[in-house]
Amino acid sequence: MNLQFVLKFTGAILIIAGSAGYGYSLAARYGQRLRELEQLRQMIFLLKGQITYASAPLQEAFEVVGDRTEGALSRLFGRVAGRIEAQQGEAFYRIWQEEVAGSEQDGLAMEQSDRQVLGELGEHLGFLDKEMQERNLLLYLEQLDLRIGDLRAHKTERCRIYSSLGIMGGLFLTILLV
Amino acid sequence: MDKREELIKIFSKDIRTILKQLSADFEQVQEIRLRIHAPLLMIYNNHEYYITPEGNLSKRAEEAYMVSRQELKETLEYMSNYSLYAFEEEIKQGFITIQGGHRIGIAGKTIADEHGIRSMKFISFINVRLSHQVRGCASMVLPYLYSGGEIQHTLIISPPRCGKTTLLRDIIRQVSNGTGPEPGLTVGVIDERSEIGACYQGIPQNELGIRTDILDCCPKVQGMMMLIRTMSPRVIAVDEIGSREDLEAIEYVMNCGCKLIATVHGSSIEDIKQKPVLRKMVMERWFERYIILNNRGKVGNVDQIYDSRGTKLYPVGVECI
Repeated sequence: MNLQFVLKFTGAILIIAGSAGYGYSLAARYGQRLRELEQLRQMIFLLKGQITYASAPLQEAFEVVGDRTEGALSRLFGRVAGRIEAQQGEAFYRIWQEEVAGSEQDGLAMEQSDRQVLGELGEHLGFLDKEMQERNLLLYLEQLDLRIGDLRAHKTERCRIYSSLGIMGGLFLTILLV
Repeated sequence: MDKREELIKIFSKDIRTILKQLSADFEQVQEIRLRIHAPLLMIYNNHEYYITPEGNLSKRAEEAYMVSRQELKETLEYMSNYSLYAFEEEIKQGFITIQGGHRIGIAGKTIADEHGIRSMKFISFINVRLSHQVRGCASMVLPYLYSGGEIQHTLIISPPRCGKTTLLRDIIRQVSNGTGPEPGLTVGVIDERSEIGACYQGIPQNELGIRTDILDCCPKVQGMMMLIRTMSPRVIAVDEIGSREDLEAIEYVMNCGCKLIATVHGSSIEDIKQKPVLRKMVMERWFERYIILNNRGKVGNVDQIYDSRGTKLYPVGVECI
């Protein structure tokens, strides 16, 4: 009887802790996604500077921006620069798409839709003149700003919802099971 | 990385495969030409050949590999390292210099405004010119360019494709490094079209000597003034002079105590006397040495060397390149 109670109690604690942990991790991921998009915004600004003012080729631009920053996005830029240097005879768009898609395994918290928009950026990079490069990057920055604005506006409530739903869900499940 | 690998990388995948199979010696390759819906051509050892899909050189047009629009587009992307925008200024002039010093001439539809050519689109013609340095090709002429231990103002006169830039490049290298009894001198090079030093990202791909400073892609007139003020060269070297503005800048260089080595298109002193700007320089004896090149027999044949009075210094035509 006593053992059964201990087991039930431990199980309940574990369920609540697990569920709350999941909620908190969702909230943390939300925050990380926002930070990543903010970092990406800064990196795209640097990239724009490299391309328009320093007239740097893509490889150099990605390398310089990648070196100045840290984290999964920095590694993404570094890998892209490396593949451009290797000159294996692939279109830039493909290199970019593959590396953006592969960055999920590298700990990037961005969502599928963020990655899709970022992947599409590669479609117009490189080939056109400097003015078009700038416009293309500015257009992407605008899209990025909208996303960041949206995430920032809902950050507090979303994080609260994630964490409280995690705890409540755990409690609910415990009551159901017990 | 050898020349073949370095060069093959700039082509589209299919052309890469063909060139990889090619048994030709890339040291002898002078040009590779790509035109949309036209045969892939190679100038090899002064002869033009078609390249076949199997990677052979052929004289028969029907065996040639035909270049498609997509391949040309891909090639442009690879040769610019996916960054055509970074070559905007070069494209305006119609060429791109790539790693290894090779120059890629391009032609297509130009977009012009009141300031001149703004850009080029629908690039449909590519000419890959392989850079060949001929170290030591100036050794034969150099003794004639010094007088009393001092280098003389020198003008190299040559028809196109006779090796004047190659000769100028080696003169610069030897004057800069020092040759025999002559000590090395600081040389300033204004490389308006990246032909002399073939700089790639600021680093000369051709050897121009240890005391040489290069202003890459710089207009000659501004470049000459700038170098004199900033780098205090003893010798200034420029390629293809001839405009009225050049005349003023050259006068400035000569009055500054610098020695000038320049090249010009022409076939003889008489020929350049027909051109009003150059006529003044010849008549007023600005230059102290004239080297005339021709391609009789072989590219880079020195036809004559004259001093400022037109006295022959070099009795027989000797191949030097």
